[in-house]
Amino acid sequence: MAKIVVAEDDKLISGSLCDALKAESHEPTPAYDGQEALDKIKELIPDLVLLDIMMPKMDGISVLTELRANAPTAEVPVIVLTNIGDVETISKIVSAGAADYLLKSDQSVDDIITKVKDVLARKAV
Amino acid sequence: MIINILLIIDFLILAIVLSAYIYASVKERRYLRIKAGQSLELQQKVYQAEVLREISERIGYSLDTARIVDIIISSLGNLLDYDAVSYMVLEADNKAAFKCRVENSVNHDFIEEVKEKMLMSYEAILNQKLVPKSVDESVTGNILDDNLKVRVESFFNLPVVISQKLVGLINVASVHKGRYGSEQASILYTIINQAATAVDKLQEVLESEKGKLSAIIYSLTDGVITVDLENRLTVYNPVIKDILEIKSAESPDKPLTMFDIIDSLAGKVDLRTKIEQAVAENKTITLPEVLLKDKALEMTISPVKDNQGNTIAASVLFHDITTEKTLEKTRQEFTAMMVHELRAPLTAVRWSSESLLKNLAAASGIEPAKVKDTVVTIETASNNMLELVNDLLDVAKIESGKFELNVQDYDLVELVNEQVKAFRPQAEIKHLTIGVSAPDKCVLKFDKIRIGQVLGNLLSNAIKYSDAGEIVVNVGMKQDENKAVVGIKDTGIGVSHEDLAQLFSKFKQLKTGDHAKKGTGLGLVVSRGIVEAHGGRIWAESAGENLGSTFAFSLPVDGKQPAVAK
Repeated sequence: MAKIVVAEDDKLISGSLCDALKAESHEPTPAYDGQEALDKIKELIPDLVLLDIMMPKMDGISVLTELRANAPTAEVPVIVLTNIGDVETISKIVSAGAADYLLKSDQSVDDIITKVKDVLARKAV
Repeated sequence: MIINILLIIDFLILAIVLSAYIYASVKERRYLRIKAGQSLELQQKVYQAEVLREISERIGYSLDTARIVDIIISSLGNLLDYDAVSYMVLEADNKAAFKCRVENSVNHDFIEEVKEKMLMSYEAILNQKLVPKSVDESVTGNILDDNLKVRVESFFNLPVVISQKLVGLINVASVHKGRYGSEQASILYTIINQAATAVDKLQEVLESEKGKLSAIIYSLTDGVITVDLENRLTVYNPVIKDILEIKSAESPDKPLTMFDIIDSLAGKVDLRTKIEQAVAENKTITLPEVLLKDKALEMTISPVKDNQGNTIAASVLFHDITTEKTLEKTRQEFTAMMVHELRAPLTAVRWSSESLLKNLAAASGIEPAKVKDTVVTIETASNNMLELVNDLLDVAKIESGKFELNVQDYDLVELVNEQVKAFRPQAEIKHLTIGVSAPDKCVLKFDKIRIGQVLGNLLSNAIKYSDAGEIVVNVGMKQDENKAVVGIKDTGIGVSHEDLAQLFSKFKQLKTGDHAKKGTGLGLVVSRGIVEAHGGRIWAESAGENLGSTFAFSLPVDGKQPAVAK
């Protein structure tokens, strides 16, 4: 069981993700904007973060940059889930230090769960 | 005696016949002489015309006076009889240039005499004493022979006036007496005069063309400069100062130099090297995006050639592309936003249906409540996307001018009440109240469905952006302005002063606002299109952020609204 912060402003998507994670016996915590996500991650120091890019108050890339800049959160693995697939955004995501990025509309929930397992397994090693 | 008388008569007859004959032949000779003279004159005229034609051809488009005079002098031999023809010009700083073409050998004194006579004539024209510091002399043609005992026996001087300016003096001289009369002088005068007229006209044309060209360059909104091969700025238009933000604080009228231009581009472009490259490689160089402070420029550097194809300068065109770049960026942001907004509900639909399928297939079965939740998610996401796609289609219709209205008489108050009723449950979830302040009836011509869409959009925004308080819908008639006004006042998050002006524009709104509240802002763009298609106006008022806002629109009551929005 892993603590996972789901940073996603779309409640429908967040709901689906949390449901699927719960079904895999993980412990998801939803956050509905960038600031809330940052606060919850600092507070919980989760095993993994699923991070959306386009969010109110603070975008995902700023959240990720902030996480990497601070020691307690610097090592927390982050999977970026986005619907913006342009090269510029992807290169920003990669250089900000994401463990992986997934284009939401290209993935099924199962794909994401598989990716979560992979990243958690890598972390355990 | 009779014989004598007869002889006398005979003699008389002979004398009469003879004198008649002499008279006739004298008359005939005179006639022939006149005739010959006329034909000579005619011949000379033809010759003169021919020489003039030749001269004007040889002058061509030259504006070089020295060259023109050279051409005249070298063509004169065919028309006039002389031993030397000379040209004298007084240049700046008291220098004189003297050119002499010797046709038949003369001596040095002859030349000196000509020079002296020309100088005297010059003095007479200018009415002042001339003592040239130096005389730049050139004598060409036949050889000078000092053994010859000759001197200037006849001559005449003619001033050369081009563009009402005395540019020099021509002298024709001969070793023979009485060679020149008014006829010869007039031949030369005609030639000079015609050459001068041709040059005048040419100058006029060139000036006028130059004027046109300068006017074009001056009126360009793009900056233009030309730089000669010594890297000197030869032409620039005033707008270049604004484009490159060159501030000549000390004296605004001070002409720009190449240093000013290069300085203003320092660190961005090495213009000097680029110009050298364009000239050396004989090709146009384009720098697609040069960023200067808050500007983006496109620069085009091209070699400039004369009519012989020799590179004589380089031109640089500065085109301000800041607006294009900003628009391009906004468009990209809009596209990214739309892609995101369309993918989000699709993702929800996809994931929900996946989860539903998976759970239905699972042996354990699925709780009915869970099924309901998932189906609601699918429905909500589908509706969101449908709304978005409809908004996008409406915006496209509005922008292409193909937005059609079905206008009929309706009661605006009734429509407002219907809409408020429909939105009340949503408001109640957020503990918001909706009040209506309206007259009993307000009948006017409008498209019920479209105005209903506007009201729905404004009400949904008011609910979305308010967390507490109340929403008041006001319907009123402005009799004096012949229009009905609907205002929707909320106690929500308000709108900042800067954002107010941009709320109803397609791209701008998308950059602002709280994304958590969902919405692309397209609803307001569509609302504006609908209201304007009715001939009305839509606007927003807010005292500032968190101070609530009022969104209002007006509709004309005379029904003279255009059927199609532009």
